[in-house]
Amino acid sequence: MSTVLIVTEIQNGSLREACYEVASLAQQIAAATGGSVKSLVMGQGVAALADEFSKKGGGDVFLAEGDALANHNAEAESKAIVAAVEASGADLVLIPSTPSGWDTAPRAAAALDAGFVSECFDITAEGGSITYKRRVFNGKLEATISASCDKVVASVQTGATTPFEGSSEGSVRKLDVSIGDLGTKFVEVKQAESKGVDLSKADVIVSGGRGVGTPEKFLEVIQPLADALGGAMGASRPVVDAGWLPHEYQVGSSGQVVQPKLYIACGISGAIQHLVGMKTSNYIIAINKDPDAPIFEVANLGVVADLLEIVPALTEALTAAKG
Amino acid sequence: MKIMVCLKQVPHQDARLDINADGTWIQEDNIKFEINSYDTYALEEALRTKDAGEADVFVVSIGPDRVGQALRTALGMGADRAIHVNDDEANGSDSLGLAKILAAVAKQENPDLIFMGLMSDDDNSAAVAPMLAQLLDIPHTTAAVKVERSNGTVTCDREIEGGAHEVVELTAPCLIAVQTGLNQVRYASLKGIMAAKKKPFDVKSVADLGLSGQVGTGAAKVKIDRIAPPLKGDTAEILSGSTAEVVAGLVSKIKELGLL
Repeated sequence: MSTVLIVTEIQNGSLREACYEVASLAQQIAAATGGSVKSLVMGQGVAALADEFSKKGGGDVFLAEGDALANHNAEAESKAIVAAVEASGADLVLIPSTPSGWDTAPRAAAALDAGFVSECFDITAEGGSITYKRRVFNGKLEATISASCDKVVASVQTGATTPFEGSSEGSVRKLDVSIGDLGTKFVEVKQAESKGVDLSKADVIVSGGRGVGTPEKFLEVIQPLADALGGAMGASRPVVDAGWLPHEYQVGSSGQVVQPKLYIACGISGAIQHLVGMKTSNYIIAINKDPDAPIFEVANLGVVADLLEIVPALTEALTAAKG
Repeated sequence: MKIMVCLKQVPHQDARLDINADGTWIQEDNIKFEINSYDTYALEEALRTKDAGEADVFVVSIGPDRVGQALRTALGMGADRAIHVNDDEANGSDSLGLAKILAAVAKQENPDLIFMGLMSDDDNSAAVAPMLAQLLDIPHTTAAVKVERSNGTVTCDREIEGGAHEVVELTAPCLIAVQTGLNQVRYASLKGIMAAKKKPFDVKSVADLGLSGQVGTGAAKVKIDRIAPPLKGDTAEILSGSTAEVVAGLVSKIKELGLL
């Protein structure tokens, strides 16, 4: 019997979609174990959201309010989570794996002396035991994990489950949290500066990864293919980190999220953070030497070969075909 | 100022990932290892503080003999000394176990700042840094892409979604887990590598840290039961053949999509 505590996150005045995704898992686990779902809503002036969530999958909601919780603060949130676990008797805490979640969840796990499983894409309860699944080695392998402790905190990959659409019954209860002095102070959120390269409008994006090899090859190999298709050039994170191309070319969760008619990934293995930024493209072609590269999981069409042979030949053929 | 940098040695990014005999991790024999990419940026950030004439930088790593190489590389890059927690009793530690070991080292050393990477390239958990901060009861931030120090406070930009940054101010002592790309990482110079041979290199056991019985496989709260390549779902249709055949296939698909 599991008491599952959902730790919610508020963004721009509403509950993030990821809270409902986590609610799906929480409801399934509670049903499979004959347990219950409870939730924590943290913020300032968020009582209405607590009420809303209690009816839409959150069950009994603990509402923690205070100035320290008005913006993301890992120290303060961790204290609120500990208080909510004590008040709810939860043995499983689920948190959306967002930038706030990954900052707070492990801290809360340590404060609870609990087991921690990061970025799960699935959690299942069967025969009284709970199994966690997550990706390791940047998506190249999957790990199945079990816990042997009385409390577990798990963060849940966003977009991995379907949002909960049913209803739930529950009450909202105020939770007193003694936050005390904090060494962490939220200052502000700085929005992204306007992008010199706007990939969101391109019908075709040709992106290169580490496999392109050198910054020069982007100009010699990747850009010409993008030009031949009247499209734009993009890049994966390692390329930008290495300083080969500026940040404005980066496709992924920390760069631009794109949805072109055609996305051609060249020498990109397909780390989760990249896939999040392009997997809803209408059609995806992947060219990579490694047949096991995760990029082939999201691609419609794949070529297992050296991009430096295929891409120039493709550019030439397209140019010829256009006449 | 004293700065602790936590490093993890991980399989090289291009290493072959074969599953080991009991199916719980990869086969580590005969593959190359390197310093976790995120951690190289953490070390660089610490060394930049040292270059400004302000810091004593020590590096810490947990693992078997091979990890000595990662620490010696860090010394060659400019760290002042190394601590290697080399003890079979640490094997099989989960994230919390590793955080406990690093916390014990930190309690012996009392650093003003701790730098480490946001996550490791092998386990990808991004868990040890916030756990270590909690165990030490100090503030932390993760995914830092900019770090500025001034009297007793550290102001960081942390990367959130869509290119936005969250600015946080931490009171030292504090822990900063860095995102890749926040600086350009230096290479060890030949002079640095020669100098590294004379730098202090301490090896510690789990018992030296007062943690006997509290870390390692036996104390792990979570463990990997199985590791495997992802189940192939709707995987891509693969075009094969000569370059000319493959290119012809791609061109015809692009035509079909109405993009030519």
